Amino acid sequence: MRAVRDEFLSEEDLDLRNLTDEELVAYWNQWLEQAQATNAADAHTYSHGVFAYAPPAKRLPLVAEDRSTYG
Amino acid sequence: MSANVYQELTQAFNAGRLRAILSSGQAVVMHRLAVMSKDGDWILREDSEALAHVLGVLEERGARYRFGAPLDTRWLAGGWSSHFEFRTDSLRVRTDFVTRPPRITPTSLQALWVRAEADAKPVPFADVITLVELKKTNRERDYAVIGELARLIDDPAECLLQSRSARDLIALARKQPALLDRLVSKRPVLRHVRDGRDGLEVALDAERRELMHANERRLQLYLDAAQVWMDAWPRIAAGIADMPLREAHATLVTHAGGRLPFQVESAS
Repeated sequence: MRAVRDEFLSEEDLDLRNLTDEELVAYWNQWLEQAQATNAADAHTYSHGVFAYAPPAKRLPLVAEDRSTYG
Repeated sequence: MSANVYQELTQAFNAGRLRAILSSGQAVVMHRLAVMSKDGDWILREDSEALAHVLGVLEERGARYRFGAPLDTRWLAGGWSSHFEFRTDSLRVRTDFVTRPPRITPTSLQALWVRAEADAKPVPFADVITLVELKKTNRERDYAVIGELARLIDDPAECLLQSRSARDLIALARKQPALLDRLVSKRPVLRHVRDGRDGLEVALDAERRELMHANERRLQLYLDAAQVWMDAWPRIAAGIADMPLREAHATLVTHAGGRLPFQVESAS
């Protein structure tokens, strides 16, 4: 019987290990295409680097999530 | 086989010479963990040829600058990041670059390049230990990724230094008690391994919070230092909007001089 362990990511996430290279790329590309749905929402934010948000001509009030970024 | 845009870009950046290592979220995918980011992030060689080549690759794809530092060694050496965006038929592609990734020591960074040269992978990507350090951000979800990345580490010492699982740490400490004692000075949370799972989990949570706050403090320094540049950006961005990327870059460098400091006090 498998022991309970600390879980960080879902089984679906971790299932990438079982994909062939072709399947991985297909899944990856499909994921990226689906993620385009949020392009408008993150138009002025950053996910990497030292900048949290871009200065648009008319900047909306910031909420806490807008400022989070990778370091 | 249909390729992935980040794999293709990495290969184009590295045509003829190793210049770019795929990093952060897309490197996590290369390790076959979760797909969690739609943007690409690379660590670049800090030399003019590498940066000029990358700019050329991006110009061929119709990329434009996003707000950020110029892709220039003087700013990148100070820890700044450069950001671009272009469109394919179906994707908005964002490309983000640093040459001095956060929390990576100069020695570790040099070793990363040496390993990448030796490995000569078609798509060079950051190793697990480097990714773990990069993921010590102010975002909660990055610590879930670290939790799984740490399970890919074979070296017991590195596992003890990076694992976010109380169960894993306790099990490993039982096998390696002397190693645990040696590493407490490098990772104080290990002092709590013998407190049991509940005590260790409280300490791990506190450690995560402190790491997040440390990154917030680091980012705030850059945010403050970029204020003049940020205020000037809308006008500058309008001026370069229709320029080819390399022409836009030259203009941006001129404007950034005096507005965006090369170095940020206490950020290194």
